[in-house]
Amino acid sequence: MTSSRRDFLARSAQLGVLLGAGIPILQACGSDSGSSGPVADPIADGLEPEKGPLRVFNYDSYVNPDVVAAFEAQYGVKVEITTFTTDTEAVTKLASKAIEVDVHHSMAATSIDRLIAGGIVQPLNKSYIPNFENAFDALKDPWYDKGSAHSVPYNFFGTGIGYRADRIDPAQVEEQGWDTLWNATDFKGQVSVLDDEREALVMAMMRKGIFDVNTTDQAIIDQALADLSELIDRVSVKVNIEAYKNIPEGATTVAHTWSPDLINAYAAYLPEGTDPAVLGFWHPPAGEYLVTNDSMGVVAGCKNPVLAHLYINFLLDNEIAEQNFSWVGYLPALSKFDADYVIGAGYVPENLRACVPTTEEIEKGLYLKPIGADGDAKYTAAWSTFTSGA
Amino acid sequence: MTAALVTTGPRRRTRFWASFAVPGVGWLIAFFVVSVYAVMAVAFGTVDPVLRTAVPAWNPLQWDFAAMSDVLDRVFGGDLGTVFVRTFRFVALSLAGCILVGYPVAYYVARKAGPRRGLLLVLLVLPFWISYLMRMLAWTNLLQLDGIVNDVLQFLHLQDEPHNWLDGNWYTVVFGLTYGYLPFFILPLYSTLERIDGRLIEAGRDLGASSMQTFFRITLPLSVPGLMAASVITILPMFGDYYTNTYLTSGSPKTEMVGNQIENYLLGTSQPQTGASLVLVLMAFLFVLMAYYLYTTLRQQRMAER
Repeated sequence: MTSSRRDFLARSAQLGVLLGAGIPILQACGSDSGSSGPVADPIADGLEPEKGPLRVFNYDSYVNPDVVAAFEAQYGVKVEITTFTTDTEAVTKLASKAIEVDVHHSMAATSIDRLIAGGIVQPLNKSYIPNFENAFDALKDPWYDKGSAHSVPYNFFGTGIGYRADRIDPAQVEEQGWDTLWNATDFKGQVSVLDDEREALVMAMMRKGIFDVNTTDQAIIDQALADLSELIDRVSVKVNIEAYKNIPEGATTVAHTWSPDLINAYAAYLPEGTDPAVLGFWHPPAGEYLVTNDSMGVVAGCKNPVLAHLYINFLLDNEIAEQNFSWVGYLPALSKFDADYVIGAGYVPENLRACVPTTEEIEKGLYLKPIGADGDAKYTAAWSTFTSGA
Repeated sequence: MTAALVTTGPRRRTRFWASFAVPGVGWLIAFFVVSVYAVMAVAFGTVDPVLRTAVPAWNPLQWDFAAMSDVLDRVFGGDLGTVFVRTFRFVALSLAGCILVGYPVAYYVARKAGPRRGLLLVLLVLPFWISYLMRMLAWTNLLQLDGIVNDVLQFLHLQDEPHNWLDGNWYTVVFGLTYGYLPFFILPLYSTLERIDGRLIEAGRDLGASSMQTFFRITLPLSVPGLMAASVITILPMFGDYYTNTYLTSGSPKTEMVGNQIENYLLGTSQPQTGASLVLVLMAFLFVLMAYYLYTTLRQQRMAER
């Protein structure tokens, strides 16, 4: 259910879905019988790659077109990218067999267990993915997929506060932490929280010192809702995923946002001539820092499984990943890309060092995990109440 | 033989002309009846326990009304009621804005523009050349703190400090809806005003009515069908709109509309039944408005025939 900055434009482009009738129809398509069980076996070793075309399922603008072209040139195949707008939509389309694709390029960590249990993705044969060695050690045996049997990490990021350092003193943000959002009364209408129900409600919980980020305790969720709702009148809070452009352009002063948004802000949205020092990012210390990653997998029953494995391996190559990072702005989940490297290479300014997670932050990171249908329903109800402004 | 020809001729002709309705009926069945039934199947269906995707219930005997019941509870007295009332208020104010701005424009183009009518019509259609989203994005730039709108207002000394138009204000959303849907309002109204028989207006003037009296007693009543049609064409999409407020207030909870809730439930949660139920509730509400429009139109037709 995690959305992304790419969601917004793509969602907005769905003008044809007036009254929202399009998606229920999509959801009505396909099998009535529900999910099948998990796929047992990976493909065999030593198979020849198929002739393609390789069909990749991804968010819009979430892979460098030059990287895709390089893969096409190296393997002499065509790559066709089909896009989705939210993780929910991706799962729905795959489950309903509305599309046929080979690679799921960006699985949310909270969905992978369902994709495995529902037989949507198949086990990987790592003999085709030697570059898996390059991945963060902490993500080689992730909580969402034991032994990375069905997935490999793609990009890694955390949640914190992005802000304008020329309007708010960084020392004040360091001192106040999440309270910065509630205290930004001088910046009414220039404060935003992520348009993501669990991220936003959990942020309100962490502000109160609750770090069980997967709680389904109704009283805690209700308190988080009350605290979040306080922001509506107090700072005229906005709910979006556009901090990557709103902060550099000056429309937002303080935002609950993802770490790569500030890297994107610096690389692509800061007006010419503006000092990068106007951008700031704060996140809680290791152990209280909410982090996550997108992952890649091979779709069960696809037509090009070998090619799909080779594509995933290609993306995990250090040089290719760097080429991809330079365009996408999201940090590859590969060991090479630590803060010293990306700052030294000029991808990230020194003042945004906090956007690059340390090994300790990754290892001690708090993860949003699946909480079951009932748990999700509690968060959804609270979120609906918050966004309704009731 | 002759009698048979006399009776089959008109029948054949009737069937021939009736066949022209086939594509339209087919279109309605494929893209309305089936679509609405699919929405109902999702709204009254269940959710896959593993994947949390919709499992539609095609058989009405298996329909589960729990999600709909919950939605109705929330619409009538819960948080969704606030959203419905707000949406209704935004649409009503935007419609009023369309009438205030659109009627004089349509009247002028239809009755007073003379040889400039063609050019003015082209100008009215001109906004359609640019995507609705692009126009809204342009307004976010124009309305921002250091945007042109604030610059102009300050230059004219109408305000001392730049106003934060994008600060989750209801009037910014109403302005955006009015601006965005105005061409849809003007064009059908124009066609009605343009067809009013000029001799009726002349007769009014000949019988001693002033310009204002002629307008209020002849032109305005005769333009009511066009006004109704323009209103229906405008408010139906306005009720489902979720991008105007999203763009102009960057997702402020103070301006959330029903369309935003539908979008969230369908694209961002594991509760597609709730989203589909909301679609049905909104459709039912719009159906009431549509039925009133049809009733009024039919009544006017009957009165005209007498």
